[in-house]
Amino acid sequence: MNELADQVPDDGERNSMTKDSRTAAVRARSVAKSFGATKALRAVDLDLMPGEVHALLGGNGAGKTTLVKILLGAMRPDKGTIEVAGAPADFRSVRDAISAGIFPIYQHLSQFPDLTVRENLAAFSLGMAKGLFAPRAMPSDAVMQGWLGDVGLPVSLDALCRELSTGEMQLLEIARASAQDARVLVLDEPTAALTHTESEVLLATIDTLRRKGTAILFISHKLDEVVAIADRITVIRDGHCAIAGAPAAQLSAPEIVLAMVGKDVQPITRISPHAGEVVAQISGLRMRPEAKPVEFSVARGEIVGLAGIIGSGADQIACAIAGGIRPLSGGVHIGGHTIPAGQRKAAVAAGIGFVPTDRHADGVFNILGVVHNTSAASLSSNVRWGLVNTGGEHMAAHDILQRIGLHPFRMDYEAANFSGGNQQKLVVARNLLIDGLNLLVMSEPTRGVDVAARRAIHEIVLEASEAGVAVIVASSDIDELLSICHRILVVQNHEIKGAFERGADRQHVIGALAGAAA
Amino acid sequence: MRPGGALARIPVSVVIAILFFIICALLVPRFASFGNLENVARIAAILAIVSCGQAVVLILGGIEFSFGSSVALASVVSVMLLPAAGPALAFAAGIATVVLVGLVNATLIAALGLPAVVVTLGTLMIGHGLAASLAGGLPLDAAASPLFKWPAVGEVFGVPVAVVCAGAALACLWFILSRTELGRRFYLVGANAPAARLSGIGVRATTFAGYLIAGVFCGIASVILTSRVGSGQPNLMSDLPFQTIAACAIGGIPLTGGRGSALHVLAGVAVIAMLNNAVVLLNFPVAAQQLLIAFVIVASVLAQKLASSSLAVLLGLRWRSEP
Repeated sequence: MNELADQVPDDGERNSMTKDSRTAAVRARSVAKSFGATKALRAVDLDLMPGEVHALLGGNGAGKTTLVKILLGAMRPDKGTIEVAGAPADFRSVRDAISAGIFPIYQHLSQFPDLTVRENLAAFSLGMAKGLFAPRAMPSDAVMQGWLGDVGLPVSLDALCRELSTGEMQLLEIARASAQDARVLVLDEPTAALTHTESEVLLATIDTLRRKGTAILFISHKLDEVVAIADRITVIRDGHCAIAGAPAAQLSAPEIVLAMVGKDVQPITRISPHAGEVVAQISGLRMRPEAKPVEFSVARGEIVGLAGIIGSGADQIACAIAGGIRPLSGGVHIGGHTIPAGQRKAAVAAGIGFVPTDRHADGVFNILGVVHNTSAASLSSNVRWGLVNTGGEHMAAHDILQRIGLHPFRMDYEAANFSGGNQQKLVVARNLLIDGLNLLVMSEPTRGVDVAARRAIHEIVLEASEAGVAVIVASSDIDELLSICHRILVVQNHEIKGAFERGADRQHVIGALAGAAA
Repeated sequence: MRPGGALARIPVSVVIAILFFIICALLVPRFASFGNLENVARIAAILAIVSCGQAVVLILGGIEFSFGSSVALASVVSVMLLPAAGPALAFAAGIATVVLVGLVNATLIAALGLPAVVVTLGTLMIGHGLAASLAGGLPLDAAASPLFKWPAVGEVFGVPVAVVCAGAALACLWFILSRTELGRRFYLVGANAPAARLSGIGVRATTFAGYLIAGVFCGIASVILTSRVGSGQPNLMSDLPFQTIAACAIGGIPLTGGRGSALHVLAGVAVIAMLNNAVVLLNFPVAAQQLLIAFVIVASVLAQKLASSSLAVLLGLRWRSEP
């Protein structure tokens, strides 16, 4: 890293580094990775130049975490290559990546809280020794003090690690890595748990490291921070680069948000006006103590969008409305009745359907068949004296799946046999079968779903709304909401920050999402 | 549930059991005689009944170890009450004891959310402790009466009572799993508990019911067992949990939950029973019996793993998801 010091560009040159011919510290080319039928990464390129802060952004499920894991050696790509300083690399473990100078910086994971700062600094050297009995000189106290000084961490070597603040621990972690001549630091949400002052100290340290020639991959959802510190920005969406290492100075916050949430598909233009009679009243709903309570109502046949980028809390508000999680306070009233908070069973009985954010973990019964998957929320309508009317159950599932267009249309398959989009159709169909469905709550209904399935799901939601069902769609996909919603509520920090009627200007909504307006 | 025709829905273990039967009938002298097979069924009956309970718990994604002491505790309680209460009440008390153990498991696992392995290992040890202290460390002899011996030696239309009970237990299991709402909930909870909860299913109530039903199956088996040994024994069939898990595993019920049927249980129990019988007829030493059973467990689980992936795809019985 020292030999690079003379090559560090001054601030004026930083943004022109894309076309620089210097060797990248790490270069990923056409990296692809699939999990079963899900393509997490399709073909992603990333160049991390020495002496730059490169921000990596993307929503949940966009493929960002997969890419980071591949760069850190925690996962191997199916296709594509990784080069470190121009030489091909094949990481089989995190240890391999660290040996190549790529260091992950976590917040709490890798420290020994009951050891002193000195012992923590030394432990890392021990861990990276080649053999169990390989001789290793302990660095002197003066050297260690120098390491701490480099990252601006003013603590005693004898301090116990558990006595440090979160920010100080993170700096210690960085000191450990830079002491090992880190070529690349990977910081995943480094400021998420820090106070404002701590964040500023950390950002100043990152700036110092950049000037020394370290390449820094900076993963954060805080747009203002990203814009302030990053030289270049890569945004991943659906396993592709939506922005591939563009200079940060040339991008505005709305442009970045658009790259994270946008999707180019034919929008649905047909949408019927709703009757206006209120079905569900959400009142005093609070997910965070400091957040303003969420208040809105949904009318029969109305589709309300909760727009929010990752971390905004839109998905959690949706889950709480459906009774999937318990909010701090407040709740849902349907037809004059208050639905018990956090009790999904009671919510289903009140006719509230729910399509959860994480289809794999919370939605699909992978090893069960199509009929069992589809009837799970409406068992009671096919049960008499405790016995399941399997004929009626099969027919109900058959009809709804035909309407939603399950493909391939095989009632005898297990859910695991279908693509992600068709698994999602099973989850949506399950909720449409709920007896007396009043309110359908969906969270990210078309995430990770192909265009055809997305269209089919949107169509069936419109059909349900035309039949009088009130719908709430929480999504980070702005085009989805613009296409199917009567009304869009913008969620930020677990609060509603703005409202848009149908036909609102796309740029305005995106601006509100990015926090520029509203 | 698996894709494909009716053929693909027959568990691999049933094919294994049938092949095993044919091999034994051809190679082992006297195996295929009616008398021998009736004997095999009589001995396998208890394992079959308790395995029905284990299957319910495994489908739920749980596991049950306390069978290993609750049958012993039931035998001790029954024999102690026998002189005062008579056989019928004594057996009822035995059943109630086992159901009570199931109730304790159900409460700790479903209501308090404790891990099933720890809870049922705990109740396993408590049961042994209680049985030993009640019996004073030695087996208690029961005064033999015709009614007391009936579950072990009696016959209904020429079929041993134990075999009738096993058949009834398997039929009950089949009915619960394939026809009732509760059975459906067992699969849903075992396949994906968070998804089941979000579908409005009472996961705790379902889990509770599962451990309770397992206790009922085991309680019925304890009556036959007590009658057969004719005494209250603090160490009665302490390997029962492992035998039932082995039977379910050979039958093709995974420990990960969400799968399994009465047919799986029947096939698994049949393989173990035939194997036990064949090694006795062949005069194998006892140690070799255990080794053989262990081998068959691993081999049949391996065979099912292979069959459910490569072989079935090759034969076109199973459809692969598109890339």
